Amino acid sequence: MKKVSMISIVVACLLACESANYVPPVTPQMAAARKGRHVDVTTLREGRRLLVHRCIECHTLPPLWHYAIEDWPKIVNSMSHRASLKPAERDAIVAYIIAVRSTGQ
Amino acid sequence: MIQRNLWKKFTLLILLLWILPVTAALAGARHFTFLYEAPTSAPGSVELENWITWERVTNSEQSDQIGFRHEIEIGVTDHFQASIYLVDWLYERDRTQSSFNYSGSAIELIYNLTNPVIDPVGLSIYGEIKGGRQHFELESKLIAQKNFGPVILDYNLTLEAEWEEQGLQERQGELQQALGASYELSPRLSVGLEFLHEFVFPDWRDEEKIRNVFVGPNVAFRHQNWFITVTALAQATDTQDEADFKVRTIFGFGF
Repeated sequence: MKKVSMISIVVACLLACESANYVPPVTPQMAAARKGRHVDVTTLREGRRLLVHRCIECHTLPPLWHYAIEDWPKIVNSMSHRASLKPAERDAIVAYIIAVRSTGQ
Repeated sequence: MIQRNLWKKFTLLILLLWILPVTAALAGARHFTFLYEAPTSAPGSVELENWITWERVTNSEQSDQIGFRHEIEIGVTDHFQASIYLVDWLYERDRTQSSFNYSGSAIELIYNLTNPVIDPVGLSIYGEIKGGRQHFELESKLIAQKNFGPVILDYNLTLEAEWEEQGLQERQGELQQALGASYELSPRLSVGLEFLHEFVFPDWRDEEKIRNVFVGPNVAFRHQNWFITVTALAQATDTQDEADFKVRTIFGFGF
């Protein structure tokens, strides 16, 4: 009984941790959500793909709401060389993060 | 003659470092030292990793072994990385003697199949071919990883075949499973645990029933284009000729 409770607690903690770094799939609403700047769905998909591949080579992903929207370009830019990101790839990651934040996900 | 060979290898190492592209980035920081992680290096990234593994056997002979590895890791595509173990060196010492030997060089390839963040589990497959003086080794691994926010859970299943001694007549197999957990305190600092469970088959037989279990903590620090990860393991079984303690440090930096 004690074992089952312990396992349940560990699983609950892990699921709670996972929900904190949820990286939602791209939707058409995300592309439309950025006021004043249109970003196409393909760029957002590429941004998401790069985020989950390149960034986790060095560290786990922080929750996307952890930093202010205006801080994200600076944060991604500071690590872009280490992650071998070209300027367009770096911009795609930033566009995806801002789109997620703009849709309130 | 031996000294001449050593100089040749050092010259080759320096030449390889010289011709590496100077604009390349860090290939990825490690959270574990006895386990591999599922993500592969970014395409175009190049990194030099230096391994130091100290092992102590506290039987009547009380011996120490320090292994050195110098590895170049190259990201080829988003899902494929290749590494070259330029040189593996081994320093051994017991109560009566000490020696310093070239142990081998190797090629290692890792292909990533699924992602540990967006897929149910991140999977990669690993292959290694190693050759040295009177030594040949083949190693394959299945790497499984899942990221839960700041927590990384990692599992490696390894099958290793070794041929040694004159004419490579002595052979041995090993099956190993390793489990690791790491918690990221900050983007730069992680702490965790590593657990190894080995099944050793001398001459591919299981008559001696050799089973080794090691467990211990690790700590990893990364900053800009370098990282350092240290793991200390203690043997939880009672195998006489196996190391009682192992400490491995991996220091890597991108060019």
